This record gives sequence, C-alpha cells and structure tokens, in this order.
Amino acid sequence: MRSAGHLLLALVLVFLIGPFVIICIAGLSGGETLAFPPEGLSLRWVAKVFTVDSFRAAFWLSITLALGSTAVALALGIPAAYALERYNPPGAEVVRNIVTAPIVVPGIIVGLALLRHLVIPLGIPVPVALVIGHTALLIPYAVRVVSGSLVNLRPDIEEAAVMLGASRLQAFFKVVLPNIRAGIMAAFIIGFITSFNQVPVSLFLTGPGVTTLPIDMMFYMEFNYDPSVAALSGLLALMSLGVVMVAEKLLGLSRYV
Amino acid sequence: MSDFLTLDKLTLGYGATIAVDSLDFAMKPGELVALLGPSGCGKTTTMRAIAGLMTPVSGRIVLDGRDVTRVPANKRGVGLVFQSYALFPHLTVFENVAFGLRLAKVPAQQVKARVDAALASVGLSHLADRQPKALSGGQQQRVALARSIVVEPKLLLLDEPLSNLDARLRLEMRSELSRLQRELGIAMIYVTHDQAEALALADRIIVMREGRIEQAGTPEEIYERPVSAFVANFIGFENCFALKDGKLKGVAAPGFDTGTAKGLAWRPNAVRLGTGAHRGTVAGASYLGQVVEYLLATPLGDIKAEAPAADPRHAIGAEIAFDLPQAGAVVLHRD
Amino acid sequence: MFQNRRLGLLLLAPATIFVALGFIVPVLILLSGAFRAEGGWTLGHYLEFFAQPLNREVFLRTFRLGLIVTAVSAVVGYGVAMAVVEAGPKSKGRLVALLVLPLMISPVARTYAWLVILGRTGFVNVFLTDIGLIDSPLRLLFTETAVFIGLIQLFFPLMVLPLISSLENLPRDVIPAARVLGASWPAVFFKVVLPLTKEGLVVGGTLVFVGSLTAYVTPAILGGSKVLMLETLLYQRVSVANDFASAAVIAVILIVMSVATNVLLKRLASVRRSKAEAK
Repeated sequence: MRSAGHLLLALVLVFLIGPFVIICIAGLSGGETLAFPPEGLSLRWVAKVFTVDSFRAAFWLSITLALGSTAVALALGIPAAYALERYNPPGAEVVRNIVTAPIVVPGIIVGLALLRHLVIPLGIPVPVALVIGHTALLIPYAVRVVSGSLVNLRPDIEEAAVMLGASRLQAFFKVVLPNIRAGIMAAFIIGFITSFNQVPVSLFLTGPGVTTLPIDMMFYMEFNYDPSVAALSGLLALMSLGVVMVAEKLLGLSRYV
Repeated sequence: MSDFLTLDKLTLGYGATIAVDSLDFAMKPGELVALLGPSGCGKTTTMRAIAGLMTPVSGRIVLDGRDVTRVPANKRGVGLVFQSYALFPHLTVFENVAFGLRLAKVPAQQVKARVDAALASVGLSHLADRQPKALSGGQQQRVALARSIVVEPKLLLLDEPLSNLDARLRLEMRSELSRLQRELGIAMIYVTHDQAEALALADRIIVMREGRIEQAGTPEEIYERPVSAFVANFIGFENCFALKDGKLKGVAAPGFDTGTAKGLAWRPNAVRLGTGAHRGTVAGASYLGQVVEYLLATPLGDIKAEAPAADPRHAIGAEIAFDLPQAGAVVLHRD
Repeated sequence: MFQNRRLGLLLLAPATIFVALGFIVPVLILLSGAFRAEGGWTLGHYLEFFAQPLNREVFLRTFRLGLIVTAVSAVVGYGVAMAVVEAGPKSKGRLVALLVLPLMISPVARTYAWLVILGRTGFVNVFLTDIGLIDSPLRLLFTETAVFIGLIQLFFPLMVLPLISSLENLPRDVIPAARVLGASWPAVFFKVVLPLTKEGLVVGGTLVFVGSLTAYVTPAILGGSKVLMLETLLYQRVSVANDFASAAVIAVILIVMSVATNVLLKRLASVRRSKAEAK
C-alpha cells in the first residue's frame, strides 16, 4: 500500500513539475526550432529574449502593473479587513460579499466589461483600466489574508496601547501593523504573482504598445516557433520561484495560502 | 478629603441593553476599591467606562476634579491591567514596559531608569530581554503591572488580574499588589468575582448586581452586616432565610420580632445546638480541629452549624433541637 | 473601544466603493447586454446562441471537460493526499511545497510546455516513433485530450491541498478502528474516509470545476480554434465578429455556473454543520 502511494506521488509530481523542467531545458536549446530533447545546449535564446522589444516593454508593464495593483489592493484591503474584524459595521455581510465578488467573475468578462463600459465611454486610459481590473481581482485576497492575521491578534493589545497614551492611529501603527506584517507581506507576494501571471483580465484591455508579458508571449507563440518563449517561460518561472522561496524562508508563506 | 473619583448617575449600555443603571459612587485618594459581583453584573463595564474604553449613555465621570466623561482613553491618566495581560507580542519585556514612556517622548536615559525601577519593583529585572511568549502567566502578569505603573497613572484599574493564576500564585500576587499599592499610594479599582480577594485587599467593597450597587462598605461591613440575601450569599454567608409572612421561608416562626426585615441569616457559629424550638436531623459532621462543623437536615433546608470540638458529639442520623437566636441574627433588609 | 460602527464603515468605504464602481457596475452592465435588445428585455439572445450547433457543442464540451477534470482530480487527489499525509510531518512540508509550486508559475509557461511535449516533433511523438510503436506522428495537440491534460496539470494542486487538510483532521484512530471491526479497504474508504473528508472534497471540487469552466490560457494554447471552450469562444466572438450579444450570453452562463457551484458548496457545508449540531 505504502509503495503504491509513493509511486503515485512520484508520478504525480513528475507530471506536475516535469513539463516545467522540460521547458527550461528546451529554452536552452542550441537549435532553431522548439524541440525536446534539444539539439545541443546554448544560451542564445535566453540572450535573444532580452533583445525582443515587445518582451521588454511588456515585462516592465507587467511589473509596474503588478506592483501598482497590489499596492492599491492592500491600501484598500487593509482598512477593510481591519474594519470587518474589529468593528461590526452595519451591512458587514453585504460588504463582505461585494468585496469578494471579483473572485466569482471570470477574468475575461472583467476585461471586456472594463473595456466597453469604462475605457470606451469614459475615456479612461487603458493602463489605468488594467490597474483597476487587477486591483479588483486582488482585493478579495488582500482582505482574506489580512483578516486571517487579524483574527489571531487579540483586540485588547490595542486597548492596552491606548491606555498607555497612544491615539488610535498610533496604536494601529505601533501595535497592530507589526504583528500582521507577515500576513501583509504574504498578501503582497500572492497578489504580485497573481497579477503578473494574469491573462484573462488583461486580454481585452491590451493592444499594440500596451501588452502584459504573458499575453505578449502568447501572441509571439502564434507566429514564432523558436525557443525564445521557452527560454522566457523558464526565466519567468525561475523568477516566480525565487520570489516564493525567499518569502517562504522569511515568512513561512505556506501558512497563509 | 475630597473625592478623588466620582461617578454621577453613570448609565452604560450595549446597543439597546442597559448594563449599568444610574450608578453613583465616590472614591477617596489612595483607596483600593473592589468592584465585586457575579459575571454580568456590570463591574467590568463600569471599569471600562472609567478607563474611557466605553462611552456612557448618560451621567458623568469626574477624576481628580476634572470631568473626563468626554476625554479619550489615552488622555485620562488612567492605567489598566487587563485580565489577559495584553502584552505586546512583538516587543521584549523591557520595550513593553517602556511603551508608554516612549509615547510620552520621555528621554532615553530616563526611560531606562524608570523601566529598570519598575521591573525591579515587580522582581523581573532578570527577564528584561525576554519575549512575552517565553514567560509564565505570573511573570506576564507582573510585566503588565510594571507597564501600567511606570507611567505613573493617577488611577489604576485592574480587571480580574489574578483569575488566570493558580491558587498559590494568586495568594502570592495578592500580597504583592497590596504592598505595591501601599508603597505607591496609588488609587486602585480592582474588579473581581472572588469575594476572598475583595475582602483581603480592599479598603472598600462595592457589591454590584445587575447593573446596580447592591451594597457598598468596608470589608467588615460587607462581611458582618450584609444588607440582602444576595450579598450574604455572595459573601458566603451560610444559613440565609427569606422571611415570608413573618416566618422563616414561610415555615418556622423565628421566635422574635423581625420588624421590616426581608430575611435573616446566621453564621454557623451562631446556631445553638441541643436546645431550641427548631428540629432537625444530623446529616453530616466534619472535624475541623478547633470546631466540628455539622450539617443539619431541617424543614428550613440544610443548615450549617459549628460547635466547639470539646463539646459532646452529635451522632449522624440523630434528631436534634437547635436554636436560631436573635442575638446572632443578621438582618437582611433586602433580597 | 470598537463601538464606533460608523468609523468601521468609513474604513470599509474605499474598498467597497472601488469594487462597486470599478468592477461590479461595468460587469453588470455587460451582463445585462445578454438580456437586452432594441427597446426592451429579451431572452432572444439565448435562443439565438443555443440555436447554433457550434455553441451548443462548446457549451457541452466545457461542462463535460470540467466534470471529467474534477472527477479525475478527485480520484487521484485522494491517493496523493493520503500518501502525503502518511509521509509524516517533515516530508509533508516539502511535498506540499512541491505541489504548490506549479501554482506560482504562469499558466502560459505551464501550458506552453505541453506544446513541446505533445507536438508533432515533440517529445511523446519522437519517443513513440523511436521505440517503434508508431510510424507517423500522432496528432495530439488541439484535441480535447490535450486540453484535458493541460487543465488537470493546472488545477490538480487545488484539489489535493484541501483534501490534505481534511485528511489531517480525521480523528486519529478512525481507520484502524474500522479495520478492527472488519472493514475491507474499499469499505474503509467509502464508509469512513469519504464522509469525514467531504468538506475538503467539496472545496477542492469547486475550485477545480469552476477553474476548468473559466479557463482561458490552456484551452487557447492547447485547443486553439479546433477545441473551443466557453472562454475562448467568447474571445473569438468579440475579436473576430464584434458579437457582443453572444459574449454577454456566454458571460452570464459562466457567472451563473460559477456562482451556482459556490452556492452549492456553501449549502453542502452548512447542511453538514447543522446536521452535526442537531446531533
């Protein structure tokens, strides 16, 4: 029984992770076309990735989009989580449902809706609409993760801080924030990665000159069969993994997922 | 001496429920007042209102000549030791105690001096660099205490501070608190449901019941002359009987004029065994060294009586006569 | 100290207003397009949509694949979850990390790998030709199978993690107790493990099912225009034909399925809780 279980586990892990390994190796191919096993190993495609203009532009857009929308999501989400956990505001249930609504709506619909009803009629610039779309997507995670941290923090330490002379704001910054900092960082990293890898929301909102990296990769794939996308995929995957591993080391990220 | 703290018709509520109803109470400087009562009686609510953590529905709170009813909690000069201690988990013991001083922008050297002194006064100097989670309950409690007194509050509130400690530690801490209070001369309000603690520590006890003051007085007054069956029961007064139609529990005549009393109570050592108008059966006997404590089954219910150990013993199961004399009766004016 | 409920509302306001105006309103307007025509409300768009065989095929395929992916994930998921739980606390941490890792990698990258593996000159075909099993390369890409494989790889961890969580909460000696009472292993599973881990199964099932229904990248890359799913169909209708009515109809279908599954989850979870309380 036990060895059957181990075998299954091994097979599944190979299935889940193997393709990623394959793509990394394919990206190191010395040949002209995408193939595995590759004809020789070389870094030329990895180098090529950095020279493709659209990749560079898309990369910066994705990074700033991810940073921006995560920051906004946290700026909105932290007070919301605090209010939901500490106060019992009237209409809390309704608010909770509103704030978690974005999870239920498929991303592609969000992108299309923002395009047709925000960008076109109101003339909102596309990058702003992208930030709005991504932020809306991330707010539920931000609220949920920060709420999780707050639940485990007793409210009476805030009262203790106030009794010792702190204003409510001081109590929040000196006593609450330091103790939920790990949760906030976890929310930030989850948000960043979710936004960076996000495709459906950005799909309708992107166009010439304004593309996120995953979408740019998909367009590139349709017409080019060289290993650049594989190399880029490998690089991105390593970047994501690097971020997550650092986070795990520093915070024990797995507790918050 | 003028009053240090006055509560003037203080009414407190949660939503539509009134938790404390028009409370009037005054406290002298340097007093240790105990708020005593069962859960839900409003003692903690009253304390929180004095602290400023709760806004009154109506009434006033006057502290040291200043109306603080509308003053925010962080500006009242009141300290609060929480039942759960509420130490800041992300700070060391030293920083916990220094917290209030740093907020007040006290210069670093003074902070060190005062924190060291406070830790020394609670005997925790050696733990200054520890994290709260590494401390035992008793140690955490003392850190909480040091943290509150180092900022020299005018009034210190303690919310059942000893209830989470084991019995022996509780007794130790009780004397610590007493000593500290006398040394610092600081006014203290001590909330508890433990009558032994209240009797041992307080200069004055306020017994609360369902949002109102049932009886206020010195420990002796509360202990010897409870005014109602509620207080008597709470203090652990045995043998309380309500008077119905002039009869104890409507069953037996007391044998003397009871006036407007609502009830009578006798301490076990006031019950006379062997003679008297009442009858009962000996249901139990416990030898306690100096005295023997008897449990009598009677038409009035169970009665506890005490007799000197030297007296002849009454056998279990024996029928016995006993007297509830007027001399030893405590009159309960209310129920 | 937390009595001032209005302050609470103030803190909630920014997030709520943002989501309401920047998200809910545009989406609702879009969805309403599925019900509106010149001058009034209509269900005509739905009728037109389902009148076309291609649309029906896509709808059924999406639903079918969703169910299959969920079912397979559940079966294999239990096996994997049990193996992980039995591996002991040290290994468990590492195994969970390995299972979670793929979730952090872009779906584009993860799906792209299958192009390499399943392509005409890809790994599988080359391997099978080399060992003589086939003569000419199989067409593996742009088939339902390819989409299925991509989806399962994407969503499998979402099934396993809740199952692991549920399995860990099993009372300690429940399985040995059942065995001692004479239960065979299948009986142990169906009569003891399954009922007690239903919550994990329901959570995982919802995540996988809804995820599969609303997947875009995987069907786009591995299915192309040959194997359309609802989201790729939606994209196609809008970008190729400006057919916003169809897009709105599909959007409504996707949201209804998504919400219905979530509501069902809550219902199932609370039924169990109230049954437990009634005992």
